[in-house]
Amino acid sequence: MERLLIWPANPAASILALWLLSQVFLYFARVPMHKGLDEVGRLLGGALRICARWCRGMATRVTQRDREMILEMGKGDLEAKVGREFHRIEGAFAKELARYPDLHRKIDDAVTKIDADFQECASAAPAAPGWSDAVAAVAKMPPNGDGVVKKVLEEIHKSAQAGEKKALADFRETTAKRHKILGAMAPAWKELQKLASEVAKAVTGALESTKRIDGYMASYEKIRKGDEKEVRALGWSSTQLFVVSVLVLAVAIGGAFVNFNLIALPMSELVPSGSRIGGMPVSTVAALVVVLMEVAAGVFAMEMLGITSFFPKLELLPSSRRRMILAVALGGLFMLACIEASLAILREQIVDSSNALKASLAGMSAPVANTATSHIPVIGQAVLGFILPWILAMVAVPLETMISTGGHIVLSVVAGLLHLGGFLSRLGGHAMRYTLAAARHVYDIYIVIPLQIEKMTGNGKSAPSGTVALRPEARR
Amino acid sequence: MKRTLLAALLAVSCSSGAQYAQAVVALVDVSGTYADQKPQVVEVIRRGLLPRMAPGDSLIVIRIDSESYKRDNVEASVKLDVRPSKANAEKLAFAQRLEEFAHRPGKASHTDIRGAMMLGAEYLRETGAGKRTMVVFSDMAEDLPRGVKRDLAPDELKGVRVVAMNVKRLAADNADPTVYRQRLSGWEKQVTAHGARDFKVVLEPDKLTELLDEG
Repeated sequence: MERLLIWPANPAASILALWLLSQVFLYFARVPMHKGLDEVGRLLGGALRICARWCRGMATRVTQRDREMILEMGKGDLEAKVGREFHRIEGAFAKELARYPDLHRKIDDAVTKIDADFQECASAAPAAPGWSDAVAAVAKMPPNGDGVVKKVLEEIHKSAQAGEKKALADFRETTAKRHKILGAMAPAWKELQKLASEVAKAVTGALESTKRIDGYMASYEKIRKGDEKEVRALGWSSTQLFVVSVLVLAVAIGGAFVNFNLIALPMSELVPSGSRIGGMPVSTVAALVVVLMEVAAGVFAMEMLGITSFFPKLELLPSSRRRMILAVALGGLFMLACIEASLAILREQIVDSSNALKASLAGMSAPVANTATSHIPVIGQAVLGFILPWILAMVAVPLETMISTGGHIVLSVVAGLLHLGGFLSRLGGHAMRYTLAAARHVYDIYIVIPLQIEKMTGNGKSAPSGTVALRPEARR
Repeated sequence: MKRTLLAALLAVSCSSGAQYAQAVVALVDVSGTYADQKPQVVEVIRRGLLPRMAPGDSLIVIRIDSESYKRDNVEASVKLDVRPSKANAEKLAFAQRLEEFAHRPGKASHTDIRGAMMLGAEYLRETGAGKRTMVVFSDMAEDLPRGVKRDLAPDELKGVRVVAMNVKRLAADNADPTVYRQRLSGWEKQVTAHGARDFKVVLEPDKLTELLDEG
């Protein structure tokens, strides 16, 4: 600091001299300085404005891309759903139509049987025409004193009564037979009712599918038209799916970690751990590979089951080959699960052996482990070793969901960052402009004395640069 | 060009496990006033060093006597198998040999520490291990017989960590601890001058295992 002083022995005089010199210098440099500040402000403000515009443009493009992606995703999803419904309907129809001849025959048989029973039910033995009326008329004739006639009439009366009794008995017998026939018709009615309810069920299922398809088609139409509400709903749905899949994947990674630790130690018994790959023992790498193989087998199994669709080429394979690949994947998983279970048992044995060794080296006579309960951890680890590969195989589902929805999340984040960048650039542009305007004013305040002298000597005329506008671009 | 690149990549990615292995040489003084410490020293090796050895590690026990630069001075040596079960069996066999060494009578009249160090350094170099440690169980008072000359090469102990464990205080040390400290300081200078990574004095066996874990 002292080096700047003109007269180090007299700092006050030095500072005064420096101040005077600066006043003179800055007064004469005022116009170029103002111009310089204007240009700097214009340059920085312009650059930041361009940056903000670029950010805004990019954000719009990214948002548009995101929107297109969401719409395509929604379309694809709905197409898959509609396809699935049609597939169901096709299946149901194929099944029902295949059953239709049988159903028709059953209904026909039942109707024929009912008809035959009905016909049989209607048939009855006809009475002798006019005979009973004649007998009744003779029986009602008044007795006329002739013994022979009386006897004849009595006999006719008896005969009429006997005939009535027989007719009544015949009627009862016929009625009983008809009731029996009608009773035998009940199962046929029930069969018909059952068949009708089956048909109704199939028709209801088809109608429900149709309703669902109608719903999907309505959504599809909205998506096709680019309905904002639908786009927002799809975006939110994607975000939800992404969060859920990330959570499930995090849990799966935890499971993979447990699985890895379960087999890493016993793997050193199988794979020589002397060599290393990238600083890691080969046995550790092998354990890691086993875990990854389980995931890969799971991916293929899920692909072949039609749950995921990572590889479009595999979808084109005939079903026989798909079944073959599925069998290989499931077989591989089973083998790996068995290997892991055995490794888990081996691990327990190694741990027991190490404990026994430590006890022996420490001079203890008996191992610490309690033999009564020592089977529990072994069984537990074996079961865990067997189950974990199957659980890891399920990772394919959240993995696919995360990948498919990840694009939307990435684009949303990028768009958000670009919007933020644009906002900050605009803010920076304004800040630059006003800061440099403030700097001009501060400059003028510093040399206010020479400026006032100039004003007084120049009869109130201010310097041309004193009219510098706050916004330099306004003068253009 | 591609082949060279691939070969270089493989060389970098795949490597022998030796550089990650640990080799420990324990020098056990059986001379003079330290001879009575042999059972305790064996106990420290058996309880502290041996369980810490991982598959692939090496452990060598060398006796310090009047002339220690002899192959006969190697009491026990093992390079543990990479398989844990075999390594455990080898540890048990090694412990058995240590037990025999502990119970073997005998006392040397002179103390050739540097001879044992040279022998130990050769064994350590041969293992090719990445982490090499030399643990000296002695009072660190060297007393070479007449006619025996021990000059360490400048890089004799290159990359070796030297640990002086359970250094017994002599009668003169009790009278004047400075003598003891100067003796240890002299050893520190000597071993570091011959390439040793560092020189540490350890009193408790737990500290020794900590040092080994640190590498």
